[in-house]
Amino acid sequence: MTWNVAKKAIDYILSHENSFPEKSVIWDFIGGEPLLEVDLIDKICDYIKMSMYELNHHWFDSYRFSISTNGINYCEEKVQNFIKKNLSHLSLGITIDGTEKKHDINRIYKGSGKGSYADVVRNIPLWLKQFPNESTKVTISSEDLPYIEESVIHLFSLGIHEVNMNCVYENVWKEGDDIILETQMLKLADSIIDNNYYKDFACSLFSEQIGGPLLDNQNWCGAGKMLAIDAAGNFYPCTRFAKYSLREKNELVIGNIKEGINKNKLRPFLCLDSRTQSSYECIKCEVAQGCGWCQGENYDTAETNTIYQRSTAICKMHKARVRANNYYWNKLYRKLELEGEREEFEKNKREVKLEIC
Amino acid sequence: MLQYLIILLDKESVSFCGLTPSPSPKGERSCLIPLDTLKQGIRFGMIENLMIQYVYPDYELPAEYSKVIESIDHSKIKPMKDGADVWVTGSIKDIKADVSVVWRTDKQSLFNSEADIISALENVPRLNVVLTDVETFTDEDFENYRSLLNAFAEHIEKLYLEGISSQLNLLTDRMMFSKINNCGAGDTTITLAPNGKFYVCPAFYYEDETDSIGDLEHGLDIKNKQLYKLDYAPICRHCDAWQCKRCIWLNRKTTLEVNTPSHEQCVLAHLERNASRELLNNIRKHGTFLPEQEEIKEIDYLDPFDKRNTWL
Repeated sequence: MTWNVAKKAIDYILSHENSFPEKSVIWDFIGGEPLLEVDLIDKICDYIKMSMYELNHHWFDSYRFSISTNGINYCEEKVQNFIKKNLSHLSLGITIDGTEKKHDINRIYKGSGKGSYADVVRNIPLWLKQFPNESTKVTISSEDLPYIEESVIHLFSLGIHEVNMNCVYENVWKEGDDIILETQMLKLADSIIDNNYYKDFACSLFSEQIGGPLLDNQNWCGAGKMLAIDAAGNFYPCTRFAKYSLREKNELVIGNIKEGINKNKLRPFLCLDSRTQSSYECIKCEVAQGCGWCQGENYDTAETNTIYQRSTAICKMHKARVRANNYYWNKLYRKLELEGEREEFEKNKREVKLEIC
Repeated sequence: MLQYLIILLDKESVSFCGLTPSPSPKGERSCLIPLDTLKQGIRFGMIENLMIQYVYPDYELPAEYSKVIESIDHSKIKPMKDGADVWVTGSIKDIKADVSVVWRTDKQSLFNSEADIISALENVPRLNVVLTDVETFTDEDFENYRSLLNAFAEHIEKLYLEGISSQLNLLTDRMMFSKINNCGAGDTTITLAPNGKFYVCPAFYYEDETDSIGDLEHGLDIKNKQLYKLDYAPICRHCDAWQCKRCIWLNRKTTLEVNTPSHEQCVLAHLERNASRELLNNIRKHGTFLPEQEEIKEIDYLDPFDKRNTWL
């Protein structure tokens, strides 16, 4: 993204205060690897702060900057300068996938093919010192399944207290993957409970909110409630609708920095509910709660150009997750009751994000 | 459930909805539906128990078509008055007919034709005004539209008092309906084009011939067909502007989804709804009128999308 595009995007957003009435805002920088462009991000953040002040904008002092990084250049001087300058308004997550073996399956340097684990893990202590409450997020694909238990425990051992983990929504799942997921999660449940990790650590695979029939009609995904801007200045309801994120469909643009947002194209996103886009089988599913979807993936796999047809590729993985959750919560609460600690646990338990993109 | 089959007798059949098809290149001949395709279409309609609506081009069909056309109960939509059940015209001036008239117009012509429309209301049993540029309406246009509807309502009220039951779709339909009544494209109605393929509606064919939903040889194949139904239209299923066209083609054009109307379509439909409410209340002041119809409630919005938090 050029500075000119970034500036025009900020100008558009801040000068249309009525179109963005939300109390607060998160300015999220995603890549590729965003910290490779830390100079540009720094300039953008300065401009946002200055503009909000000059406009007496209602987001002034009610904003955050958010960055998800692979963590490789975390300790570089200019990155550190940026962090220190914006620390009180900055959320910064490092994506580390687990053990070295697991991490280096997917995160390798172009050319050499060498894994990046060693270059990331050495930056974790400083990161946790600066952002002690930060979590890491891990997405699970078919080939990652055998490493779930050891990876989560490894991340806990690095001092990361919250591991947000979810299965990808794409149709990558092979026969028997649900059994592997369930087996790994049962093993993880035993490790967390038997070693008392549950007292200080949390993994989002385990949540009391999943399983059981649908209770509400809310949409799962936040597409349309955010605004994504690409390097050319096009607007999307989420980056998942940009061309580079889609396999089958054309990009779904809802405006640009010159013409603004086409509100008619945004309407379908803001009218999405659970039942309108779900099959009868999903609506009636006895363990539907917590079974999520990605609107972009739904769009990409739909039989027509619609966001109103839900992809169900994750179905058997969700059901496996529900079974493992049943085991986890039954085992944990029985232990807590026997040890007389249930009440205290309920009072202090860490709330984790149910799902992440 | 399917109920209607629209058969376009020619590629140049008259448009009776919001889409204005691009004119064929100069010198290109019209494309009349092959007689065999027409027969197969009629057979399909009979088997599926569908009411057939023929849409005519602006020239006389070859004599051999007449017998085939008459082989099933049907209605005729024509760009000429003679022999039409519905006459589609591009001009409102001095019209007189004893059949229903569809006047396709852009907003500017509509705003400039108040007197002609008022005159037409006395000379045709039913006038359907179809706007061809709904998506271009601005706030100023909405105000003009509101004023125009009020003027028409005043005149229709006078006609009722004189014993003349004049029908103008924009105003009198809502008073008569007890539930939504729209074109039903893809749900209750499908279209057969001269190429032997089925389409959601004529506009889908005129816009992109590859956008078909099956053909006579292999039958219908409507992907995501539930999305054409009211239950799967998140805004419309909560709406009581029952006279709204709920134009599926315009939905897709403006919002990219067949089940989601544009802001402009919703506001126009609600201006009509509210004007119908006024008209109904005013006529009822003179005596009993449509006693079986419930009152149209007063509402504080023009676009139900703005009230989505009450039903989401």
